Amino acid sequence: MALLSMKNINKSFFGKMANNQVCFDLEPGEIHALLGENGAGKTTLMNILYGIYARDSGDILWKGQAVSFASPRAAIACHIGMVHQHFMLVPTLTVSQNITLGLREKGYPFPDRKALNAAITDVSEKYGLQIDVGAYISTLSVGEQQRVEIIKLLYRDAELLILDEPTAMLTPQETEYFFAVLRKLRADGHSVIIITHRIPEVMSITDRVTVLRDGYNVVTVKTCDFTEQELSQYMIGRQLHSIQREPIVPDAGSEGLVLEDVSLKENGMERLTSLSLQIAPGEIVGVAGVDGNGQKELVEVILGIRKHSQGKIKLGGLDMSAMSVLEHKKLGIGYISDDRQQDGLVMDMNLTDNMLLKTHTDPRFIDHGLINARLVREDTQKAVEDYAIKTPGLNTPLRYLSGGNQQKLILAREMAGDPKAIVALQPTRGLDIGATEFVQQQLLQHRVKGCSILLISADLEEVLLLSDRIVVIYKGRFMGIFPNTKELSLSHIGLMMAGRTSEARKESL
Amino acid sequence: MKRFGKLLSFLGIAVLTLLITILLIRLVGSSVDQAFSSFLSGIFGSFYSVSEVMVKATPLILTGLGVAVGSRSGFINIGAEGQLYMGAIAVTCIAFWLNDLPAIVMIPLVILGGFVFGGVWSVIPGFLKARFGISEVITTLMFNYIAISIVGILVRTLLKDPSNSLPMSSFLPDSATLPVILSSTRLHAGFLVALISVVLVWLLVWKTPAGYEMRAVGLNPRACKCSGISVYKNIIRSSLISGGLAGIAGVCEVAGLHHKLLEGISPGYGYIAIIVALLGKNHPVGVVISALGIAALQVGSLGMQRAAGVPTSISSIIMGVVVLLILARKSIFRRLLTDE
Repeated sequence: MALLSMKNINKSFFGKMANNQVCFDLEPGEIHALLGENGAGKTTLMNILYGIYARDSGDILWKGQAVSFASPRAAIACHIGMVHQHFMLVPTLTVSQNITLGLREKGYPFPDRKALNAAITDVSEKYGLQIDVGAYISTLSVGEQQRVEIIKLLYRDAELLILDEPTAMLTPQETEYFFAVLRKLRADGHSVIIITHRIPEVMSITDRVTVLRDGYNVVTVKTCDFTEQELSQYMIGRQLHSIQREPIVPDAGSEGLVLEDVSLKENGMERLTSLSLQIAPGEIVGVAGVDGNGQKELVEVILGIRKHSQGKIKLGGLDMSAMSVLEHKKLGIGYISDDRQQDGLVMDMNLTDNMLLKTHTDPRFIDHGLINARLVREDTQKAVEDYAIKTPGLNTPLRYLSGGNQQKLILAREMAGDPKAIVALQPTRGLDIGATEFVQQQLLQHRVKGCSILLISADLEEVLLLSDRIVVIYKGRFMGIFPNTKELSLSHIGLMMAGRTSEARKESL
Repeated sequence: MKRFGKLLSFLGIAVLTLLITILLIRLVGSSVDQAFSSFLSGIFGSFYSVSEVMVKATPLILTGLGVAVGSRSGFINIGAEGQLYMGAIAVTCIAFWLNDLPAIVMIPLVILGGFVFGGVWSVIPGFLKARFGISEVITTLMFNYIAISIVGILVRTLLKDPSNSLPMSSFLPDSATLPVILSSTRLHAGFLVALISVVLVWLLVWKTPAGYEMRAVGLNPRACKCSGISVYKNIIRSSLISGGLAGIAGVCEVAGLHHKLLEGISPGYGYIAIIVALLGKNHPVGVVISALGIAALQVGSLGMQRAAGVPTSISSIIMGVVVLLILARKSIFRRLLTDE
């Protein structure tokens, strides 16, 4: 008998079906992947199971009983636990406090912390999830925080663990370690559902896989019976076209974007340490690294949003160190931020007003001190057509556009007027495959036009796909710069991303 | 369907307000019929009563406009009352100091003076917010008490009319008073000043690059910072304009209505301004409509008190009810507003 079976689940948001007659079965003691692109409805389905969303229709059977959880609390009571993509931990509390948060155990409200810690350590050692129970969450790495999340579920006797994109933030080594933990859990009789869009991981760890596409379930199969290519066709519904990079012709006359010994100190903390880098016109330099190792600081320093404490940043031979953000933009730098809703857009303004964010001081659009609404609308209309932005109209607030279309508007704005340099931080995060390809094509097109491009992504595949050279960043330092060739060793880069240079060096010997 | 639901929800608010009003009138033991008819005739009964609505609306439009400009760029101005008093001080001081100027110079000068005094009174909290992140809600509110007390001191000392025992200034020179624009009413040129301000603010906030920046800063300061728009500069700018408009309201009240400085020139216009801006959705045209509405409510309730014996404080209660209902509209009428 299946441990869990979800039958004909329907769920719509604003008239759009996120789940359409989706069926899903889980056997006891299996690792089951829920595979699909962004927006395929994977997370929605699991959120319905976990009591975060209410389904429109359909049945859920847990151990043969019809269930309907009103909240995650009810799901946990039935021994179902979920780790979200964005962790739900309190940074100012310790590991132990986070794990027992909300539990009324013996002695509540004055729990016996020592006994609790011993119980937690029992659980963590059983599955090889090493953790310091007394450490504060804010001091832990992403990999360690994930361990805390898993221990939290095991401590609550979860039999089924749902993990949403668990490897998104891990280095290749951390991923391997994490898979070893999953195998131990399976051996111990736990069931695991992994939500992912990474096929290689599906191949290496799962027993079965259910593929979702556009809210429908396409197929449920035994993983070992299928190849990566077949799964990817199920997931995408078509062949991926491979991206071609022409070899670059360095422009001798121009220096491109140059960092010379750039450091950033904030509140006595060294955020960036002597970074030096030259990006020639027509070159894409990719920065590989685990999130939160100074990537955001790096781009903000280049844009002048933060002021570096040392060193020089030049564009086309001109020192920009003392310039304001506006002067940077006027000089010709396009900025694609990782947080488009906060940094890139005014969500409550419409398309034309969001285009104005860059052009409102442009004399082309100003007549007698007033903004010429007609010209701005034409400009926006052109952007909508050129970048194939899907919108009900130019007056629609950005809030009502999909993530991909929001990002396209940012591209249209930041890439207008052929910038000399583009700084792109996680430009495809959270986008579906079509939008991702579009963004990548745009970057490559500007590369051909002679733009210096800095691409920062936590997705190593993307960095490998687009970059001419690759820089690895760890704790605000560049660990090494390599040309992107076929001989490049992935495990070498992985070790550097984890800050283990000496081991990386040993391996390359 | 959605649009229809929205319409229905506002209709619901109107009906609820009406029911509560009827309840209150019953509670004080008056006849509902008589109360309503005297309310309406209090507003529309005569030429004079209609003009009186516009007189009341003048300071409400100006202060409401100020609060709305502030809100648009994220500056929550609770201090329109104090800024109004500072404007009143400005007009009185300038009028007595330069008393031999002709009206054609004097009037623009006192309006400018009121704008500067009110603006400075609001820029100080604006600076504290932009530079140190101190909440402008607290500082602007506290500045009200200071401004009101300064007026109290001035009308007893420097500006006191020696021939009068009451704490008030002498009458302003004629050159500094705003003319009455409708004979045999109290309606003065301040109403025109308010309407001109509405047009200018609309142009500034909706049509110029500076206005665009102020609106963008109010909606997402972080994105503005990343795009090279100075959040600091725009908070300073909008707080100056916000306070300046409230200052002009003070000028109009003194130069147009009272013709002298005295305590209590404003029965809380600066606070009602917050409601005006809220009901007017921080839009200049909305502000005019809601200011006229609230002024009518106040004038009408005076009529109601005279003829039906219903206390005028009922108008404050109704205002409070309307604000609460509008703020809670989306939760109360959730069924109507969502698709289901």
